[in-house]
Amino acid sequence: MNYRNLSITELHNLLLEDKVTPLELVKEAIKLAKEDDNNAFEYICDEEALKKVESLDSSKKNNLFYGIPVVVKDNFSTKDIPTTASSNILNGYVPIFSAEVVERLEAQGAIVIAKSTLDELAMGGTGTSGHKGTTFNPWDKSKTRLVGGSSCGSAASVAKGIVPFALGSDTGDSVRKPASYAGLVGFKPTWGRISRYGLFPFATSLDHVAYFTRNVSDAAISLNVLAGHDDKDFSSSFKEVPDYSKHLTDSIKGKKIGIIKGVVNSMSDKDIIAVFNKTAEGLKEKGAIVEEVEIDEKLLKAIFPTYVIISCAESTSNNANLDGIKFGARVEGDSFEEVMTNTRTKGFSRLIKRRFVIGAYSLLRENADELFIRAQKCRRLIVDAFNKAFESYDALIAPAAPSVAPEFAHKSDALDNEYLIADNYMAYGNMGGYPSITLPIGFKDKLPFGINLTAKPFDEVNLLNIANAVESVTGLKDLVAEDR
Amino acid sequence: MKKVTKEVLKSNAEKLMFEMSDEDLDLLVNEFGVIQEQMSLIGEIEGVDETTPMTFPFDVTSTFLREDVASEPLDRELALRNAKDVVDGQIRLPKVVK
Repeated sequence: MNYRNLSITELHNLLLEDKVTPLELVKEAIKLAKEDDNNAFEYICDEEALKKVESLDSSKKNNLFYGIPVVVKDNFSTKDIPTTASSNILNGYVPIFSAEVVERLEAQGAIVIAKSTLDELAMGGTGTSGHKGTTFNPWDKSKTRLVGGSSCGSAASVAKGIVPFALGSDTGDSVRKPASYAGLVGFKPTWGRISRYGLFPFATSLDHVAYFTRNVSDAAISLNVLAGHDDKDFSSSFKEVPDYSKHLTDSIKGKKIGIIKGVVNSMSDKDIIAVFNKTAEGLKEKGAIVEEVEIDEKLLKAIFPTYVIISCAESTSNNANLDGIKFGARVEGDSFEEVMTNTRTKGFSRLIKRRFVIGAYSLLRENADELFIRAQKCRRLIVDAFNKAFESYDALIAPAAPSVAPEFAHKSDALDNEYLIADNYMAYGNMGGYPSITLPIGFKDKLPFGINLTAKPFDEVNLLNIANAVESVTGLKDLVAEDR
Repeated sequence: MKKVTKEVLKSNAEKLMFEMSDEDLDLLVNEFGVIQEQMSLIGEIEGVDETTPMTFPFDVTSTFLREDVASEPLDRELALRNAKDVVDGQIRLPKVVK
């Protein structure tokens, strides 16, 4: 039987009806993972996964994740399973504990079948900078297009139908942008909603746990498992966790939805804009009030440079512990300083080194006022502008990307409005910690593209309902590459 | 904005404890050119320098004390499992006094 486009609930029902066993599901997922030709995986946990299936507690079989194979981005700690964050400096590192989110999934009976590739240390948006090389977009058979990053392997594994759920992380748009390129739901809940314990930090004030599914209902089910306070993460919220799937509806009558006009105006692809507008019309027909929202263009253009400076600066200190001494791929030297320098010189890629230097330079006392501090000030202006918009709107929407998945050879003009705004605006969701979700709305040249919806902090119930309404307007769900 | 030179960037890389090739330093000087142009967009925003810097998305209220119960957080063997050179329960590094 083909399980590739089934939802978590559908797989769960098959398991309950004894039409399939967890062992069969996991073996099938491992087989598909081993056949993968998109470079989606750092490590396939076949032996570990099969052992975990054997020890599953059948009294938990009513849990929706019981026996469900899942993939975890390789920047989450997984006990006794190699974890490298796709960086050579962590080659050979085997964590002694699992990230809180991995524990929560496993406690429900989910089986981790593989660790997925990423841009090195999650610092990239193309899926081309990990130490295993380029990850390909499963929708593009010619293997000339990116799937996006940094959560490239997780996106590819869900898009290919290997698993129905994969964990990712999102610091700028690292789940929500690949979701657009891969025809998936990519969801980043509010900052603090999901514990980050065990997620390798990139930029602490912007990092979020996020994930991919193939439909909105599965995204709601997954949040039920992952959300909630964790004493081990001091940024974890104490806010009560509602039952997200119980509240899920596509009734959006009277909801106010704002189209971020500046994003659409910066785009050149008329086909994508037309499908986006048609989707917005569909929401109106379902009773929502849809209007254009004006956000100062200067602020929209400032999102990307603000993000670059803050994220690079925070990353330099977060990655200072990668020295090869306590863990990691140590390179010998004549002194401890030389050990550290040799390890870091050999372990980090050229790109990562440049990012770190950008961060360190921005933090220097003589530069900080014009770079790091100014970026932090600008962040407040950006967040204030969006907070004001959220006073009037239940959600803000815009195309998640200005194009379908670009070719690897594609180069953007770094000062062009389309690049600065439409290609990079979603980082506002990280700056304000807003819950933000991408889902597919159409195809162009047989490649998917998506819409992004964002709401005020901790308003996931509302956001998921509006996303659910989008899904019922477009009818695009449970998409698997190669099915079309 | 100050001119970014290769020398300054090289000294930054040294502080970060890694070496960079000449080619990469040249590339980085060019990348800084773009970043500075992008950052100049921020400088044009009215009131930016009078704003209070934002360090987190919103106030975090997770302040609490754990119960005062003694516990063993990490076994020594486990803590050292990923170190490459361990002798007598300690990580070995090159001698400081030679």
